[in-house]
Amino acid sequence: MAHLVMFYGRECPHCKKMLPLIDTLEKETPVRFERLEVWHDEKNADLMRSYREAIAPKCGHQLRVPTFLNADTRDAMCGEVEFDKLKDWALQQG
Amino acid sequence: MKKRYWRCFVCNDVHYGIAPPELCPTCKVLHAYVEITAEEARKILGGGPETTMATEDFRASIERFTVGNEFQVNPAADKVSLLLTGIFENEKNHGFKFCPCRLRTKDWEEDLKLICPCNFPIHETYKGVKDGECWCGLFVRRK
Repeated sequence: MAHLVMFYGRECPHCKKMLPLIDTLEKETPVRFERLEVWHDEKNADLMRSYREAIAPKCGHQLRVPTFLNADTRDAMCGEVEFDKLKDWALQQG
Repeated sequence: MKKRYWRCFVCNDVHYGIAPPELCPTCKVLHAYVEITAEEARKILGGGPETTMATEDFRASIERFTVGNEFQVNPAADKVSLLLTGIFENEKNHGFKFCPCRLRTKDWEEDLKLICPCNFPIHETYKGVKDGECWCGLFVRRK
């Protein structure tokens, strides 16, 4: 199963909205996300920065949160999205 | 063009930019600016009085900033409250009021673009978007 990561910020309202959707998705499907907070954990922040070339082109050329990343293929999606879009993206990752 | 430092010879206002202001915004004297070094600028600013800004002061400041602009502070109070908490956490932990919905790159010039308010009217989440907002949602297009 793909190694999926959600980079999020503790005080980011979009992230706050997406975190429960991740919980629901994990209950409904075998998909699992590693949740990594990036504003209060510099190790996580550095990890997100290390994926900048994969993330930025799909996120307004910036490192935005929330970002959903397939750490294996480096496919990424960012922002507050509908549950179905999140689910489709996650299931496509294999 | 590279930005430089300028000092008003009348009132010691300091300006950082590619050119000095024609009119000093403080003392209203024309053609009053002379170039100084970064070190001189830091000494002048560093010797000034300490100021503080609580969350509510910043909120009032951004409300004033939006007056006359086509955007406003998001009416969703809970969202604004969470964002202001993040902005002040970031200032405490990282030195500037960085946007809580993006991440510092550790590149000085790049990271200056993340200080709130950022230049969001050029971003794809706002520019040409009917219900546009800045990436974090602190500012939204005025209805």
